[in-house]
Amino acid sequence: MKTLVNFFPDLFQAEVEETLKRIQSHKGVIGTMVVNAEGIPIRTTLDNSTTVQYAGLLHQLTMKAKSTVRDIDPQNDLTFLRIRSKKHEIMVAPDKEYLLIVIQNPCE
Amino acid sequence: MATSAQPWQLGLAGSAGAEALATSGTASTEGPERPGPLQDETLGVASVPSQWRGVQGIRGETKSCQTASIATAEASVQARKHVDAEVQTEAPEPVSLPSVPRYNGPQLAAFLRKVEAMVTRELNKNWQSHAFDGFEVNWAEQQQTVNCLHTLSYPPAQGQGLHVTGVSWNSTGSVVACAYGRLDDGDWSTLRSFVCAWNLDRRGLSPQQPSAVVEVPSAAMCLAFHPTRPSHVAGGLYSGEVLVWDMSRPEDPLLWRTGLTDDTHTDPVYQPSRGEAEVGATAVAFSSFDPSLFVLGTEGGFPLKCSLSAEEAAVTRMPSSVPLRAPAQFTFAPHGGPVYSVSCSPFHRNLFLSAGTDGHAHLYSMLQAQPLTSLQLSHKYLFAVRWSPVRPLVFAAASGEGDVQLFDLQKSSQKPTVSVKQTEDESPVYCLEFNCQQTQLLAAGDAKGTVKVWQLSSEFTEQGARETELLDQLASEVAS
Repeated sequence: MKTLVNFFPDLFQAEVEETLKRIQSHKGVIGTMVVNAEGIPIRTTLDNSTTVQYAGLLHQLTMKAKSTVRDIDPQNDLTFLRIRSKKHEIMVAPDKEYLLIVIQNPCE
Repeated sequence: MATSAQPWQLGLAGSAGAEALATSGTASTEGPERPGPLQDETLGVASVPSQWRGVQGIRGETKSCQTASIATAEASVQARKHVDAEVQTEAPEPVSLPSVPRYNGPQLAAFLRKVEAMVTRELNKNWQSHAFDGFEVNWAEQQQTVNCLHTLSYPPAQGQGLHVTGVSWNSTGSVVACAYGRLDDGDWSTLRSFVCAWNLDRRGLSPQQPSAVVEVPSAAMCLAFHPTRPSHVAGGLYSGEVLVWDMSRPEDPLLWRTGLTDDTHTDPVYQPSRGEAEVGATAVAFSSFDPSLFVLGTEGGFPLKCSLSAEEAAVTRMPSSVPLRAPAQFTFAPHGGPVYSVSCSPFHRNLFLSAGTDGHAHLYSMLQAQPLTSLQLSHKYLFAVRWSPVRPLVFAAASGEGDVQLFDLQKSSQKPTVSVKQTEDESPVYCLEFNCQQTQLLAAGDAKGTVKVWQLSSEFTEQGARETELLDQLASEVAS
């Protein structure tokens, strides 16, 4: 697991690391990353260039998806985003502050 | 005193006035009973004609004015100032993550706690889901059949009855070149021959008129474009020479030739290769994974695994100035006749195909001598076999019966998926090459001297979902 900044107290750091490790160890998961509200990756298991690409593009797409849902019904909000492609599936769990992105190669 | 009557009469205002004047005149002589100077006199009325209302002649004068003709003159202006500037591309910097801003640890932990359950649920569902089984989306227009896009030929070469002995696509995928020669001549031949190239992207492509033609002194047996320079092509001749041409220079295309020395191949060069073997080599293919590894097809029918890094010196019949090495490392089980073509898989390091005069194509793994599969594709010879550059399980074969056959190992391992007839009279197809840039194109040259460019259907150009795994499975069927 690549840590980019060792910054906050160990108490929370350990919990964060463990959670991400659990997610990463699921069947078929290729990569996991956490991106902040500006689209800057905070945690990742992939290499730098791939991470930067995913973070930037998916952040924009998530914002667009969120505004689409809100425009259709202002009482509604985006809870989860999934993109299925020929090769794998990208899952994005959005939040006010962060995005969790998981890439899985599902069993065919 | 006598006042003389003034003979002053300004107007005939009344005769009384005139009388009065006359009277006054006479009065002085007669002398009325009045004293002289204090006499009342009535004078006439004087009138002055008006000058104001008189008709005045309108005095006018004619004047004209004319603008002078407009004078024009042309002058040109050229800015003379210039500034020099330089541009330099820089090597791309490796992407580094920007420095991470401060963030709230507990908040991140709280966020992950919140989403973990949902994400885990979705991951598990995905793993077990069959929702998308067999669901395929086609973004590009599907081409259903294989059809012939171009039929290219060079009439002077056809007039001499020459065959197309080699085709090659250039590095950009827009030019196809072919070598003319004869494959059935057993003797020395002093036939003059041609190497022709057609630029398929040019407008106004004339199929009978190549964009570049090079005359060569003897029959050309094989051809290969430079892997990165789009206009350089190398060809091997029947006389044993190897020549390199630059097709973008029509006046003097020849760049380099080996010349006829004692060292040159005194036997015909059948495929440009970087090595020689004491056995009659008929075909060479380099591995895409290991640049020093190559496979030779031989006249004896057995493929040889060879390496450029072999140290052992070769035993030769004649002394040569260039030290020769014996590169052969491993011999595979033979075909029933000479091997005319070998091709290494671009997707798997151990797999290669060989095709020969027995009409069979063998799929070999580098790890064992016996072929993994043997396919009978033709009742006559097979002249060329090539792996597809995009689909790991697809290869094409050129048969002596005039067919181009496309095999998809995923669909059937026994018979070809598509078989197209190149020549009507069943004269053989001698060579074929896939276009690596425009992956739907396949060029094949035949004994009638024509090169046909085939457009493949979409099933041959898009990689399927699990092809690499299937190929791995195939390769691992090695008998232990």
